[in-house]
Amino acid sequence: MANDDNYPVESDRRRFVKGVVGGAALSGVLTTGAVSVTSLTTPSGGGGGTMNYRGANRDLGPAPRSIPQIPIELDDDGNIMGLWPEPETREEGGVEFLVSEREFEVDGETVTYSTEWFQYCGLQTFQGIEPDADQDAYFRYDDAPPTNDYPWMENIIGGSQMNVDDFDQYEDWGNDIGDAGIGQPATGTWRSEDLPPEQTIPIFVMRSALIEELAEEDEWIAQTCPEGLIAFVGKCTHFCCVPNYKQLGESANFGAENKIYCQCHQSVYDPLNIVEEQFVSLPRPEDG
Amino acid sequence: MSDNDDIKTDGSGPGIVAPDDEVPTWRERKERTTGLSRLTYEYFERARREDQDLRQESSYIERDVLGFPAWPHETVRNLAIGSVFVGMLLFLSATMPPHLGDPANPAVTPEIILPDWYLYWSFGLLQLGPINPDLAILGGEKIMSDELYGVLANVVVVGAIAIVPFLNKGGARRPVEQPFWAAVGVGGVMFAFTTSVLAIDNLLPIDPNITFDLTFLLPLVAAAIAYAVLKTMREGYMYDLNRRYYRLRPPR
Repeated sequence: MANDDNYPVESDRRRFVKGVVGGAALSGVLTTGAVSVTSLTTPSGGGGGTMNYRGANRDLGPAPRSIPQIPIELDDDGNIMGLWPEPETREEGGVEFLVSEREFEVDGETVTYSTEWFQYCGLQTFQGIEPDADQDAYFRYDDAPPTNDYPWMENIIGGSQMNVDDFDQYEDWGNDIGDAGIGQPATGTWRSEDLPPEQTIPIFVMRSALIEELAEEDEWIAQTCPEGLIAFVGKCTHFCCVPNYKQLGESANFGAENKIYCQCHQSVYDPLNIVEEQFVSLPRPEDG
Repeated sequence: MSDNDDIKTDGSGPGIVAPDDEVPTWRERKERTTGLSRLTYEYFERARREDQDLRQESSYIERDVLGFPAWPHETVRNLAIGSVFVGMLLFLSATMPPHLGDPANPAVTPEIILPDWYLYWSFGLLQLGPINPDLAILGGEKIMSDELYGVLANVVVVGAIAIVPFLNKGGARRPVEQPFWAAVGVGGVMFAFTTSVLAIDNLLPIDPNITFDLTFLLPLVAAAIAYAVLKTMREGYMYDLNRRYYRLRPPR
C-alpha cells in the first residue's frame, strides 16, 4: 500500500473538479480551432455571392448544376466576343469592388448577366476574370486546335480570333460521333492572351441551326446568341475538368453523343437546353 | 534515547533500511502486489508454466542456439540490407530525369482520367446512385444525396472488412471445411473486382446499365458457384481420404 499516497484520494469533489476543468479545456481548444479554421477558410475579397445565372442544363452525372453560358456579341467584321460589360465600382459592407454587369429584358423580367457567373473552380483567381483586366473580350482559338476531333478546324490558325464566317458548315457539320447537323463546335480561350495555361479560361463555342430556331421563341437566346452562336465556359461544375463535345466515342454510353460530356465523372450537359439556376459565386481574392 | 529513535535522513539509525533477513525477495514482493500488476504477473507466470510443460512433453530436440546476438550478427545483416535499398534510391534519383514532365495544365483534361488502379473499387462504390432509394413518404425524394450514399457504401465495406479479424470462425484452414464462409469470401473478392470495373465503365464497350447490374449479380453468381463446388468437394471421396491423411480437425 506504499503507492496509495502518491495520488489524491478519489472523491466526488475531485471528479467534479476534473470534469469542469477538462470540459473547459476541451471547449477552449474546440472553439479556438473552429475560429482559426473559419478565419483561414473564409474567402477574402470582393464580388461573388448568391446569384442567378443561365447555363446548359445538367442532364446526367454528379455535377451539381448547369455549366454557365457566355452571352455573345459580334463586332462589325463578324468577330465573336464574349459579353464583357464596362466595369463599375460597387460598395458592399465597406468593401469596394468592381463588377461587370448588364441587364437583359427577358419576357418582361430583368435578367442580370454578371461576369461573376464564372467565378467558380478557381476561375475567380484568373487575371482575365478581373473586370478591369488588360484583356479584350474576343474569343480566340486554341493554340493547337483539336483538328483530330473537329476536322473543319484544319485551316484555322491557332490563337486567331474566332469569326462567324469560320462557322459556315453549321447546318450540316458532323463527325463520326453522334448525329450530323446539331451544330458546328469549336474550342478556344477567352480573356487569356499571353497568360500561362493555368490562367487560361477555356471556352466552348457552337453555331447551330437549332439555336437559331430557339432564338425565335426564347428572348434570352435571341439576345445572347446572335447568328445561332452559343458559348459556355469550359469548366465542369463538378470537379472543374474541361468537358468536351463530340470528342469521345464513350459519350454515347451515357446518351451524350450530341451533348457536352465530361469524361472525369460522366457529367452530361445539354447545350440546347438553357436553364436558369442559382449558385454561390466565389469572391475574387484581393491583390497582394 | 529519544534522539536515536527518530528517523534520520542520512540513512543511519533504525527504521529506514530493514535488516537483510527481513527484506522480502522480488518474487515475494510481486506476489504480494494486488490489482493489475498481480493479474499480469499471474498471466505471465501461467504462460511460462504452460510453455514449460509443453516443452517437456514435446518430442522435439531443444536447440542450443535460439537466436543470433543483435551485435554484430543482426546489425551487420541489417546494415547490408539497408545499404542495398539506399543504394537503389540513390541510383534511381541519379539516373531518372529531374522532372516527371510538364506541370498539369488545368485548361486541358486528358481523354482518359482515372484514379490509381488500386482505388478503383472505392471509386466504383461512389457510383451507386442508382440504388440510392427514394422514399414514397418524402414524395420520391432521396433521404440522402448520392454523394453521401456513395461515401457510406465505402464505410460499410471497410467496416465489414475491419471486423473480420474479430470473428472467430474456428480453426478451419481450408475452404472445404467452411463452404459457406468461403463462398462469402469469394463473393467479396468478386465484388471488389466488379466495383473496380464499374469505376471504369465509361471505357468499356458495354452499356453502363448492364455493367451496373453485373456489378451486383456476378458476386452472387460467383459465391453460389463457389459454395456448390466446395460442398461437392466436401461430400466427395477425396475429402475424407485427405482428412485422414492430414489429420484435419473434423468439420462440425
